[in-house]
Amino acid sequence: MAVELDDAQIATTSGAGLRLADRLRPSPWRQPWGMEGFTCLYILWSIVPIAIAVLFSFNKGASQSSWQGFSTKWYVGNSVQSVLHNPVLHQAVIQTLVLAVLTTAICVPIGVAFAIGIDRWRSRTSATLNLTMIFSFVIPELLLAIALFLLVTQALTFIGLGTEAEVAGLVVWNLSWPAVIVRARLVSIGRSYEEAATDLGASRLGAIRRVLLPMLMPAVFASAVLVFASTVDDFVIVEQLSSTAATQPMSVLIYANVHGGLSGPALNALATIMLLFSLLAALIGLLAYRWMTRGERQSSVEALTNIAGM
Amino acid sequence: MADRGDTSSRRDRLLWMGLAAPGAIWLLVLFVVPFYVMLAVAGGGINEFFQTVVPVWNPLHWSSWNLSGVWRDITGNGAFIGPAALRTLVYTAVATVISLAIAYPVAYFVARHAGRRKAFYLVLLIAPFWVSYMMRMLAWIDLLQQGGIFNSALSSVGLPGNTDWLGGKSVTVIFGLVYGYIPYLILVLYAFLDRIDQRLIEAARDLGLSKARTFWQVTIPLSKPALIAGTFITVLPMLGDYYTNQLLSGAPGTTMIGNVIEGQLDAPGYTGQGAVLSLMLLVVLLIPMTYYVVSTARASRENA
Amino acid sequence: MSEGHVQLVSLTKHFDGAAVVNGISLEVEPGEFFSLLGPSGCGKTTTLRMVAGFEAPSSGRILLDGVDVGSRAPNHRNVNTVFQSYALFPFLTVAENVAFGMRFKSVPKPERQRRVAEALELVQLSGLERRRPNQLSGGQQQRVALARALVRRPAVLLLDEPLGALDAKLRRSLQVELGALQKQVGITFLYVTHDQEEALTMSDRLAVMNKGRIVQLGTPAEVYNEPADAYVADFLGVSNLMDAEVDPGPSGQGCCRLRLGEFQLEARTGKIDATGTVKLAIRPERVHLHSYEESGPNRVPGMVERVVFIGSTTHLHVRLATGESLQAMVRNDGSTLPYSQGTAVSIALPADALRVLPDPGESVAEIRAETVGEQLLDLTS
Repeated sequence: MAVELDDAQIATTSGAGLRLADRLRPSPWRQPWGMEGFTCLYILWSIVPIAIAVLFSFNKGASQSSWQGFSTKWYVGNSVQSVLHNPVLHQAVIQTLVLAVLTTAICVPIGVAFAIGIDRWRSRTSATLNLTMIFSFVIPELLLAIALFLLVTQALTFIGLGTEAEVAGLVVWNLSWPAVIVRARLVSIGRSYEEAATDLGASRLGAIRRVLLPMLMPAVFASAVLVFASTVDDFVIVEQLSSTAATQPMSVLIYANVHGGLSGPALNALATIMLLFSLLAALIGLLAYRWMTRGERQSSVEALTNIAGM
Repeated sequence: MADRGDTSSRRDRLLWMGLAAPGAIWLLVLFVVPFYVMLAVAGGGINEFFQTVVPVWNPLHWSSWNLSGVWRDITGNGAFIGPAALRTLVYTAVATVISLAIAYPVAYFVARHAGRRKAFYLVLLIAPFWVSYMMRMLAWIDLLQQGGIFNSALSSVGLPGNTDWLGGKSVTVIFGLVYGYIPYLILVLYAFLDRIDQRLIEAARDLGLSKARTFWQVTIPLSKPALIAGTFITVLPMLGDYYTNQLLSGAPGTTMIGNVIEGQLDAPGYTGQGAVLSLMLLVVLLIPMTYYVVSTARASRENA
Repeated sequence: MSEGHVQLVSLTKHFDGAAVVNGISLEVEPGEFFSLLGPSGCGKTTTLRMVAGFEAPSSGRILLDGVDVGSRAPNHRNVNTVFQSYALFPFLTVAENVAFGMRFKSVPKPERQRRVAEALELVQLSGLERRRPNQLSGGQQQRVALARALVRRPAVLLLDEPLGALDAKLRRSLQVELGALQKQVGITFLYVTHDQEEALTMSDRLAVMNKGRIVQLGTPAEVYNEPADAYVADFLGVSNLMDAEVDPGPSGQGCCRLRLGEFQLEARTGKIDATGTVKLAIRPERVHLHSYEESGPNRVPGMVERVVFIGSTTHLHVRLATGESLQAMVRNDGSTLPYSQGTAVSIALPADALRVLPDPGESVAEIRAETVGEQLLDLTS
């Protein structure tokens, strides 16, 4: 026999029941404070040591662990040991810049052209080339560095070790940045814009030049920034392929002198300069990216992920 | 409608091939050929007098001289390769597990629950990506020195503050690996987790699953591609790592296989064996690398 | 001055071995508004793309004003396309977008500005020159795409479902505008759509396509009132398809005697000399309902299943005693209908509105699925 409740009874019983259950059961939409706290802890752990290292590059004393006051002697002050005056340190900064600029200037155009070509040329060969490119991305850098070392010392000895070899190796190692980023952007752009361009009278090459490239610019720029930063930081390939001390960029210099050699804070100064280069490149890249995509609607989150190459 | 554009008319084909050519040549000459040289060196001999490498280019003439040398170093007396290889596996496994344990919650939080602060957190997550590996290691070298800040902090809370962290401790090396590789892991995890369709999770809750069950039965399986990609992107480079150990330890008790290879290469007369070891590492990694490469290529094609 | 005469001769296109376009032949007169109508996957867009030059035909010829352009690149044909996604260049302003094609026709600079202004006025977008595409609504973007194509004064304008992304009301008003625009400009329009109402509204002539072939070609009135087969009948509006059998024995003059279940019917249109099993079609506006007691020729008893009020009309879904479901349509003239759900009625199928169509061998349900571009799952085997 069904029990028939009238509307008022239903309202009161379920209402009371709800209130009790609500208090016992946590709301499903509350903020996960635990995860947020954990994330903040991670971020602190991730960034604070670096901040300290940067700080110590301004240390008055020669220690990396006890603070003796603020000074810029490691950068410009000290006539012997500062980056500005010490020829070894000085040269390393220049070499880093030279490598970064040369590599970016070569790698990005080649990578972009590669991305466009591979995307359109559907064949076994292009698929193989694509796979090869992904392989170059996922292989441990040491193995590639050694292979390149052997290449220039045993086979193509006319290249030999030195800046040319370093640049050549860096270009190959970083080729996947523009290739992958530009390819992803190509895929999302699709064919219709180029078709529209040819429909309106442009040749194939003209369509690429006038329509595709302008639309690819944000991706090209993002990948250039990444190649630049990656080259500034690189040292595995560069170390293997360097010849004299003159061809050692900052990263290698730091590596070689960590266990003695140059004074600690000088290394911190070098590392800070490297950081500055990377961050500057990132900043320029972000601004340029925002400016270039001002015709499109994008959240800052999307812009950031695009810059980081995802 | 699928984009089955017929852009491969003869003239167009030449254009695409021309565009891809410089990159293809560069890849060929500076990626594929070097490994052939490595093979030639591995299968070659040495000039006894100069202790320099004599590569042998014809595969039919390759000798197993270097290979047997390496084999001796693996199996014979005073074998040092085996322990290093084992240690590498252990370090990598431990570091990867720790990294995943830290990275997953962080990536998950920022991808799914950060709400309005998402951009803010993303910047902070991306920031270490721009900091060079050198600097990250340098930072901890500074902190972990004998008279350094870390030891001072330990002694200030009553714990012993005189440990030589940088003198050859496995803990330090593993810590360094985690600290060094985790930013990449977080970003890869984030990229994948961000793409998970929130509606699937909502549907599960709507169908009556509790939070815990939803997490285990829906979210984790959906995170599988993220975890797999993240693991690959961490483990593969880590197996070839040598610099972390070099920077944070430098002692023979913590050498990884990368250090062994590097050492062999620099030692006169052992370059050939170094090449063999490199190739052996490459062969070991070939299967996971191929799996990763093929699935990435397939995934990008499907997303197209 | 090109005229805009388009000829397709046995045009075929294979993809992965399957023939997506299977021998299309048609002729479009200069200044005509011609539509290709069909469900998704029927090959209409591929055909259009071949005319534009984005796909190369597997075989067959494309003639523009008598010249074979089949092997020419898109930029060497005097046709322009309006894309379904508009494909407006996001990094250019509206004016720059519209002006884009003129540099390839070596139009001198001062002239360009004039033509841009002219084109924008034609599509009623004057004043928006400086805007960027992402600042425009869907309808406005579509007009820019139109202006951009028209400014080059092509012989033929190709339109690939340009109204597909717009909401219904905007679509209907733009349909009328497009039709008027075409008459004003006088250019041949070759239009692709899956929306039969759209094709009927705007076209001078249209071709109904299915699985890569043209099933029927004619004026909207011809195709609607005299569908050649069950597929066309069902594609254009409601067809009320039924299975019937021709009565063996002598038929009367100009009419066909049929059996629908246990009822005898006469049909005077379509393939009246058919024999065996056939399909019958009748438009809903020709189905009349009478009260159950009344009798007359071509009547089938039945019941009203559902009454659907559409606004200007009311659709009555009735079920015949023989089992078929039909739709009848009544204009709402203010009087109340004497029928409601469950009313028994006598359904009149006037002989001159009843059309005999050849039986393609498929069930009514299968034909319906085809017009949507799908295959019915065969759940029986």
